[in-house]
Amino acid sequence: MRQVKSTVVAKESLTKQIFKLTLFAPEIAREARPGQFVHLRCGTEQSFILRRPFSIHQVVGQDTIDVLIRVIGQGTRWLSERRPKDSLDCLGPLGNGFAIDPRVDRAMVVAGGIGVAPMVFLARHLFDADVRAHALVGAVTAADLLDVMELKRLTRRVFVTTDDGTQGTKGIVTDILAEQLEAIGPQVVFACGPEAMLRNVAGICARFGIDCQVSLEARMACGIGACLGCAVETRDGYRNVCSEGPVFSSETLGWGCG
Amino acid sequence: MQNPVIAASGTYGVGREYSELVDVKKLGAVCAKTITLKAQSGNRPPRLWETPSGMLNSIGLQNDGVDAFIERDLPFLESLGVPIIISIAGNTIDEYEKLAKMVGALDGVDAIELNISCPNVKAGGAVFGSDAGMAAEVTSKTRLATSKPLIVKLTPNVGDIADVALACDRAGADAISLINTILGMAVDIETGRPRLGAVVGGLSGPAIRPIAVRMVYQVAQAVDVPVIGMGGISCPADALEFIIAGAGAVSVGTANFVDPKAPLKVVEGIDEYLEARRIDSVNRLVGAIRLDNG
Repeated sequence: MRQVKSTVVAKESLTKQIFKLTLFAPEIAREARPGQFVHLRCGTEQSFILRRPFSIHQVVGQDTIDVLIRVIGQGTRWLSERRPKDSLDCLGPLGNGFAIDPRVDRAMVVAGGIGVAPMVFLARHLFDADVRAHALVGAVTAADLLDVMELKRLTRRVFVTTDDGTQGTKGIVTDILAEQLEAIGPQVVFACGPEAMLRNVAGICARFGIDCQVSLEARMACGIGACLGCAVETRDGYRNVCSEGPVFSSETLGWGCG
Repeated sequence: MQNPVIAASGTYGVGREYSELVDVKKLGAVCAKTITLKAQSGNRPPRLWETPSGMLNSIGLQNDGVDAFIERDLPFLESLGVPIIISIAGNTIDEYEKLAKMVGALDGVDAIELNISCPNVKAGGAVFGSDAGMAAEVTSKTRLATSKPLIVKLTPNVGDIADVALACDRAGADAISLINTILGMAVDIETGRPRLGAVVGGLSGPAIRPIAVRMVYQVAQAVDVPVIGMGGISCPADALEFIIAGAGAVSVGTANFVDPKAPLKVVEGIDEYLEARRIDSVNRLVGAIRLDNG
């Protein structure tokens, strides 16, 4: 991991609340693995705001990374005001990333809302590793869906759900997960999204006896495993989401077990 | 110490992570995360909540206990090549004594810091540092257990901090460090629940600096031993406030989260300030606050 001064290369508005920043950060791009994140400094020398963590959405070429950012507070609002050529202080790549077992040849990627953020990078890796992947992507409404086209290019098939039925199946991703696990029979499920969704996914996977890896979110201070602030309860005691996660097997978390 | 800047306890782990990002050898010292006799699992999450110019934490002294520390972490700390301060905490005075004895016997340890912001379970859970009498007793008992330099780290959550500081000075402390975090809490108005799993936590960051500077000033006036000042230092100017108010050294903690280079910038900035004024040593600035009207 490094602390680098990255340069904003592009900024693209994706939905009302979500935008994509493309950053020139070769040291991070070269080391990054799917599921890892960057910890971005928000604000100037004069202001005290904790860094904000963002999954690495894509590595573009050798030198740039993309992150998806949803504006929800002062930190993300400051980031939303960055323009090309601005510098951004980045710590990264951080975290453990998804574990892609070389013996796996069928995988399912499940994403809810902004949880799709690490999944394009993951899908790219699965594609390059000849793993047959399917994706389930859910959002509240059609206008909030992200990366469906990207995932269609990188996986065999993408199933979409929207809470209000404006695109795909009406409902949430876990409504269709069981039937897709039956039909496709993946050896592993990778999931990212709201905690309630992840717990449901873990429960369904447990019923099918399928390995499930979830990417967790947590408020962070240091982001690198020093302060112990982002602890999550696991069957082995507390673990740092930043340095021992953000990806955990649902088994380690004790989710979905009897 | 080669300079008066210390990495504060609780914010630096044992330096493994930050040593990958910055040249830790340039610090005056590293103060490791507080250890206890037996392993402690720490508090229920959430353990962090950001506040204006600061943050609340309720980590809860999560650590694997002194034995694991000595075996696994101490060798790493020693390899950093900087003076190391070991922070210890106990649930009883007896535990402080045992820890002081064990840690005091280790060659590689340069100083011991007593974290007295913890509850005395034998006194109804009253915090050791909240009472001059208890603080003095912890100090004098640990003083007998080790001849290593002993720093007592005070909690600000008291009525008269100078009083507590003086009691520790008289009980044998070699230095007083302050402040630890200030008790605070936050509430989620959507759910009606506290933001922290432990309900109450400790506030740190720039928001607490004026309180910390005031307390350092008051303590430095009261005691004879050196004072280590901390609380919201994020840049050289902040550190200089503490020094002029009476601190012989400073610690940088929360600022590391925002900028891992913060303590090194403080080291450089103090040097620049001294050079610009042709002051030959930072010691000339310690307690140099001018109270006259001239």
